[in-house]
Amino acid sequence: MNDRVELFRGNRIFLSCVYWAFVLYVFVPLILMVLMGFKDSKFIGFPIRSWTLEWYTGVFADAEVLSTFGYSVAIAVLSTLISVIVGTWIAVLLEGRKFTGRGVTFGLTVLPALVPGIISAIAFRIYARYLGIEPGMGAIVWAHAVHNVPFVVLVVMARLSTLPKSQIEAARDLGADPLIAFARITLPYLVPAILGASIFCLLLSFDDFVRSFFLGGYEPTLPVLIFAKLRSGMSPEINAIATVALILTAVIGVWAERFTRRMNKES
Amino acid sequence: MAEETSDRTFWGRLASWGPYHAMMRLATASPRRQFVVLAAFPILWILTQHLGPMLQMLRVSLTDAYPVAPGVEQHFTLENYARFFGDSIFWMPFFRTLIFAGVFTFCTLIITYPVAYFLARHVSRKNQMLFLLLLLIPFWVGEIVRTYAIMILLGNTGAVNLALKTLGLIDRPIPFMYTSFSMGVGIVYLTALYMLLPLYSALEKLPKSMNEAAADLGAGAWTRFRRVSLPLTIEGISSGCTLVFLISTGFYATPVLLGGPSTTVFAETIAGFFHVAGDEWPTGAAFATIMFMAALIITTVFQKLMNALRKGEKK
Repeated sequence: MNDRVELFRGNRIFLSCVYWAFVLYVFVPLILMVLMGFKDSKFIGFPIRSWTLEWYTGVFADAEVLSTFGYSVAIAVLSTLISVIVGTWIAVLLEGRKFTGRGVTFGLTVLPALVPGIISAIAFRIYARYLGIEPGMGAIVWAHAVHNVPFVVLVVMARLSTLPKSQIEAARDLGADPLIAFARITLPYLVPAILGASIFCLLLSFDDFVRSFFLGGYEPTLPVLIFAKLRSGMSPEINAIATVALILTAVIGVWAERFTRRMNKES
Repeated sequence: MAEETSDRTFWGRLASWGPYHAMMRLATASPRRQFVVLAAFPILWILTQHLGPMLQMLRVSLTDAYPVAPGVEQHFTLENYARFFGDSIFWMPFFRTLIFAGVFTFCTLIITYPVAYFLARHVSRKNQMLFLLLLLIPFWVGEIVRTYAIMILLGNTGAVNLALKTLGLIDRPIPFMYTSFSMGVGIVYLTALYMLLPLYSALEKLPKSMNEAAADLGAGAWTRFRRVSLPLTIEGISSGCTLVFLISTGFYATPVLLGGPSTTVFAETIAGFFHVAGDEWPTGAAFATIMFMAALIITTVFQKLMNALRKGEKK
């Protein structure tokens, strides 16, 4: 037994080094970016000799940045609402039901998630023109909604597959029609999955660049604004804006992660 | 009458409400009709919203003008596809993109495999989620913000150059930025999670006893990895690589910000046709179609190969 422990120890030390190196790789760039927002100079770069809070306070005083924030959040909320309703409906159709063309339907359902970013943006741009949707908020909401549907479908289907069929059957035996059985049995059971998927969609939409960039009008979303500012040069102001976006997404992400886990445990 | 309804629930009242009742009866008259009512909207949505944009892109790529000006006739043409092969300024970025995507996918695999292995095999069940969550946090942050973070890391006055200078290893900053290296660091950073999760779930399913049995039979660490873990996680590797490859070919902002003139990728070429006058749209559509087809063919062949490999190992 001791031999075996000895045998695996070498691997373990090596692998844990790799793990912590990877943690550094994913965290250090973000930490540096946050720090750079405190630099008391217009020029990006190390070392940081003097510190200031000016850039961060500036973000909250900048009307353009604040309205961009609001615009991005509104797009995220609207597109998520559409994605969640459509995605849940498709999941209910696909889960545990056999019909001709189910495989093709499933393949087409996940298609938007598999199309590489630039191609999806171009296809949406062309289709928006075809449908007569002008570039702007409506177009972005629509593109984000379509793009995020597959994620909702996958999450909801996973949850739906664990729903005991007997419960639905009991409700039907007691005289509930399919719609009422859905609203009173299936839907409450799906709440954790739907909430989890919603937050995932919110973040995907809020962080999305390529679709917002190609379908946007004159008003930028937050990632598009950061991109535009970056093209005209780096500045600690951008660090401050990016940091606020970073904190918002990271906090929501972690909270959602814990929340859905707790919900799943309870039921 | 009022008393009778007030002690019934909302659902009970809804079920016996005339119009609703009639509608439900109509919709559930037969299992077939019930299915049609359930399926109509999803199928319509998938066809018009998921498939529609791709088909419209294909259609536009085969025409000579789009959007069509009033009074002008639209003609079928293959000219847009011919343009691609006619000029190296078009096909060079295309092949560069495929090669970059392949190399970056491989790098992501090499980097994340040990991490996933460590998580699945050497961390106790209780801590696994915590260790994994730690890695998930940065991945909630968007593409642009993370790309910018890499710019700060690798710039001439960035953290890496400062560290190397302080250590006395270099006198002058190394120009990491605007090269394929900086692009690689950025893209691996953006895609690592999509590799890590499939690998982790494949490794997690692998029983620990298998490795121990191999060790008891005298297999060293490398042999155990090559003969036990690797063949049994091919499925995870295959789906992770497919996902990362597809995502890598689609990046637009990251190559623009981290790459330079010598690393132009096809996404930038395609985007170029949409910045200028409308009559370039068909060419852009054709190029996007070529890119998508190439990515699909490569990932399909790759998956078939991995499947064959898995079946071969099982024998």
